[in-house]
Amino acid sequence: MTALLSVEGVRVSYGRIEAVRGVDLAVAPGEFVGVIGSNGAGKSSLMRAIAGVLKPAAGRVSFDGAEVTRLKSHQMVAKGLAMVPEGRMVFADQTLRDNLLLGGFSRMRTDRAGVMRDLERVLVLFPRLRERLDQEAGTLSGGEQQMLAIARGLISKPRLLVIDELSLGLAPLILDMLFPVLSSLNREGLSILLVEQMASYALAVTDRTYVMENGRVLFEGRSADLARDPRVLDAYLGRRRAA
Amino acid sequence: MEAVIQYLLTGLSVGSVYAMMGLGFYVMWSAAKAVNFTYGDIFMLGAVLTVVLMDIGIGLLPAALLAILASAAGAAAIERGFVRPFNREANAIGWMLTTIAVGTMLESSTTALFGSNPRMLPSPLAQEPIRLGGAGIYPQELLLPAALVVVTAALELFYRRTLLGRAMRAVAYNRTAAGLVGIDADRITLIAFALAGVLGALAGVLIGPVVQASSTMGAIIGLKGFMVAIIAGIANARGVVIAGLLYGVTEKFIEGYLSTAARDAIGFTLMVLLLLLFPQGLFGKKEFSKV
Repeated sequence: MTALLSVEGVRVSYGRIEAVRGVDLAVAPGEFVGVIGSNGAGKSSLMRAIAGVLKPAAGRVSFDGAEVTRLKSHQMVAKGLAMVPEGRMVFADQTLRDNLLLGGFSRMRTDRAGVMRDLERVLVLFPRLRERLDQEAGTLSGGEQQMLAIARGLISKPRLLVIDELSLGLAPLILDMLFPVLSSLNREGLSILLVEQMASYALAVTDRTYVMENGRVLFEGRSADLARDPRVLDAYLGRRRAA
Repeated sequence: MEAVIQYLLTGLSVGSVYAMMGLGFYVMWSAAKAVNFTYGDIFMLGAVLTVVLMDIGIGLLPAALLAILASAAGAAAIERGFVRPFNREANAIGWMLTTIAVGTMLESSTTALFGSNPRMLPSPLAQEPIRLGGAGIYPQELLLPAALVVVTAALELFYRRTLLGRAMRAVAYNRTAAGLVGIDADRITLIAFALAGVLGALAGVLIGPVVQASSTMGAIIGLKGFMVAIIAGIANARGVVIAGLLYGVTEKFIEGYLSTAARDAIGFTLMVLLLLLFPQGLFGKKEFSKV
């Protein structure tokens, strides 16, 4: 089966600092893939390069069989790749409803009815958002903002949802609610690429996981195997880092 | 008393011009975190092009409309050619130099083509002054505050109720996040500069019949519009409108009670003092952090 997303030899630099030093990674259609690793491993930089927020210094990104290395983020959304960015980045000065409608920006002209249907669908997924539809997004709690950011990403009707640091700053109670939602979205056919510092959560829900350190992939494997792998146990599960 | 009413009315009129110009700076700054310092020349083009088009036999209203559209297209072209390429890095300031340079070129080429003498922009509303409470004022001057009200309300509706307006606010709030929901932030910025161009050129067309059209009419007005926006706190549209009106009225009182010569000296001094007292602007919220 050809990969939905394939990343080959991608490098990302900020001036003279190289954050990602040649990474290969793939996501098959319908797959739930995790990327774990400590702070500063280059995970977020890699995701930003994949989503078109920044241009890789070298390497190649393909999506759905076509090269997309140089495309910008809004073009990636149109191709079917949506990213929920680190820190959520909801539009704090606009209402929840407007945030969600903006999520459908690229579809709005051609498929307004579809946007409205998907709006209803994400509200079923996250009922807490429905009660707050007319509130400004800035008044939401961190967990609600994360729900909104995911819902906003879903309304673009992506085939691959990239989530950068889902757990950042969120209470375990919220995470216990969010992860099952992702699992059920994945079971319905959505491919997900999840970057997560809380390795135990990521390994529990994903099919396959990449472990990154110092801008490189150290190793990768089935998440169920990695959860018992001594290298992972020592470095990421033994002493769990605070988010 | 009559004098007070006179200053108040003419002050509101010229203040409306400052307010519209300030709103244009607000629209540009929100989208790009940069502005077009040729903006005074976009204002000038609105009036000058109307005169030129009327010269070739086009009626006032269609000429004004065409002039505004052409000026807006010019403003968009300036964004594409002289702001965007010089505003790539987070704290880039190259656009300041390039837009000032283009402004100077626009002004001198207009002088060369249009002549250095001011020309009448004939309007039926600027023929006979009307008396209001003892004060004399052209109906054209009353048109300006009315237009300001319409423009402000339309802008508010645009930002709150239309998808394009919401997208513009999204770009203003966080460019990266806007891109990630599928908004082409560069395109939205281009549209914002064109929209600002409409506001500036409209102000030029409306005040043209009162002050006459000339290649140099925009320079000081552009500067005052920018000043008004900064004093208000550039991220607050209503504040910009209020500051513009207040500045216009203040100017007329200084002119009336002291002299025209004292107007700008005192006006600019006041602005500097206000900025010293309110570094964020009079109505400024904290500027969003740059990402």
